[in-house]
Amino acid sequence: MSPAPVATTHPRNTTHPEVGPPLLALGVDFRTAPIELRERVALDPREAEALQLRLMASSEIAEAFVLSTCNRTELYLRPEDGDAAFKLALDRALGERAPEIVEGGRYFVLHDREAARRLLAVAAGLESMVLGEPEILGQVKQAADLAADLGSTGPILQRLLRTAMKAGRRARSETEIGAGAISLGYAVVELARRIFDRIDHQRALLVGAGDMATLAATALFEREILSLAFANRGNQRAERFQEEFPQSERLAMEERYQYLAVADLLVVATRADEPIFTLPPFREVVQRRRSRPLLVVDLGLPRNVEAEIGSLPNVFLHDIDSLRGLIDRNLDRRRAEVPAVESIVGTELRHFLDWYERREAEPLVAQLQRQAEGIRRREVELAKESIPAEYHEELDRLTRSLVRRVLHHPSRQLRHGVGEGSRAHLELIRRLFQLDEEREP
Amino acid sequence: MTQLLPAAPVFILVLHLLVAAEYGVLFFAGRSPLGRMGTPLLWSTVALHGLYLVLLTLQWHQFPAATVAQAFSVLAFAVALIYALLERWEGERTSGFWMLVQAATFQSLAVILHTPIPPHREVFENPYFGFHALFALLGYASFAVAAGYGFLYLRLYRELKKARFQLFYGKLPPLEVLERMLVGGLTVGLVFLSGGLIIGTIWLIQREPGATLLDPTILVTLFTWALYGGSLLLRRLGRWQGRQTALASLTGLALILGSLVLSRLLLTSFHGGL
Repeated sequence: MSPAPVATTHPRNTTHPEVGPPLLALGVDFRTAPIELRERVALDPREAEALQLRLMASSEIAEAFVLSTCNRTELYLRPEDGDAAFKLALDRALGERAPEIVEGGRYFVLHDREAARRLLAVAAGLESMVLGEPEILGQVKQAADLAADLGSTGPILQRLLRTAMKAGRRARSETEIGAGAISLGYAVVELARRIFDRIDHQRALLVGAGDMATLAATALFEREILSLAFANRGNQRAERFQEEFPQSERLAMEERYQYLAVADLLVVATRADEPIFTLPPFREVVQRRRSRPLLVVDLGLPRNVEAEIGSLPNVFLHDIDSLRGLIDRNLDRRRAEVPAVESIVGTELRHFLDWYERREAEPLVAQLQRQAEGIRRREVELAKESIPAEYHEELDRLTRSLVRRVLHHPSRQLRHGVGEGSRAHLELIRRLFQLDEEREP
Repeated sequence: MTQLLPAAPVFILVLHLLVAAEYGVLFFAGRSPLGRMGTPLLWSTVALHGLYLVLLTLQWHQFPAATVAQAFSVLAFAVALIYALLERWEGERTSGFWMLVQAATFQSLAVILHTPIPPHREVFENPYFGFHALFALLGYASFAVAAGYGFLYLRLYRELKKARFQLFYGKLPPLEVLERMLVGGLTVGLVFLSGGLIIGTIWLIQREPGATLLDPTILVTLFTWALYGGSLLLRRLGRWQGRQTALASLTGLALILGSLVLSRLLLTSFHGGL
């Protein structure tokens, strides 16, 4: 089923938003475009760099950030001119490489705070195909570093990226959005971690050397399994496997039961039509193991391990179906965490918008303070003519303190009194005190 | 200070309930409502409960195990203390609810059965009684904690075996950790129970030189001691692993509880009459 197009036909003018900086986000992801189109607009780091340089060369774009992973190609821009920036970015990033995306409206466009929210949600794993997957945070950081090196991100996008990464870190540390294995390889590790305290103290036996075996071995080596021995009938695959995992030890297929006496974890992933492990010899090995727990994961189809083996004491036998059940359960748990992660995204977005509003208010506060100080100085100079010199210092101190105290609260309110309509408040202050004219009344 | 003692059991019960609730939320919801304050709250409860027991001892000049209510209160204290020590030793607190709910239950029984003035008999003032009861109750409390871990071990074992990833899977530490905590509880319990048995035997021989040891409670206790000792020995020899030890811990606790109830309800021998 191809995803429904979500693009708007025309971006609205984003030069003067009510709240937050003018931002534009556009791109494709797994929801808007099928893989055949996504792969045509995917960018490697060199291409992403070139695109950012091209975008920055135009006067319509003040800041640009490109994020391209296997599931998305997204642009985040701070436009000088919303319409022109949109057309340019759409053409350069998507239209030139895959016109079908533009013609079919298979892209998304978001503005201002929604654009900012999108980046935060991406970093938090909410927009990933595999909900909560951890890689995206590293990919955002890598792309942010590249953009910073190029100079294509300025204060607004850099701040937004820092906020997005904070949201991503918080989502993973404060919720279970990234908890639990959701791939077969990591499901094996997760099961092992429910039985054994330390994976790095366990020995694994892997039977098979194909794709499934490779997935399991990758996950186990990532968790620093103490040792991994493998057995495979075919020579060619076994050699390739050993090339990929040189730290593994190769066994002859006939040695498999013998090695089981010392192994804690057995993963079987072959295409054999007959079971590789049968009950009678397995029972003998289990008796020799003196009740030590043994995790057996059968990734084969048809199954490579006789089902009766699962009834032996301290043997935990799991097949593809049980792993699938585990993955489904973990995905449900992740889905249940979505509201909590959305709340984190909302909080961090507010922090970002607050920062932006404070940033907007800062020049006005400085102007107000400069103006008040000018008035104070002029009035003090006038007063000094009629006041004895020994009181001049006191007069200076008193008036400084007075001005500081009078301006303290309004300045604080201007910096922190953010929210809907605050831009109108700033405008009102500017008009009331005639600050735009840069003259003292 | 002693004027506050009558209200203390209820106050201590509230603390135990709070601690159990905190660990309950941690277990069921995966988040600690008190954050880092959960463990300090546990230790504060243990400390205040210990202080209460010391004050009771000073007030009545006897170890506070002269009534069933007092014995339950000592059990509640001991369960919380043993669990707190195991938590500190293993650095694992997600399973705490199942132990601390036992402590809260024992303290609830202490409050329900509370009598303001405990009986005053010469036997209770004997220091041998104090040490015998203290060691025996600490032993029983450790076995209760071990049985708690035994129960959790068996639940997780079953879920892993049947590939039914339900309540306990994902909320508990690995089987190996549960087994270590189970064995830790059993070992501590065996040491205390041995101490209680030795002191009790010496005391009995001094009190009644010709007394028989064929009291049903003593016999069941000796049997339980042998069961726990045997299971630890078999584990040491590599014959038994977690599952068998967990089953033994639950069987032992059932025997202890059964013998205590029977001796209270049916027997007129010295343990029943105390």
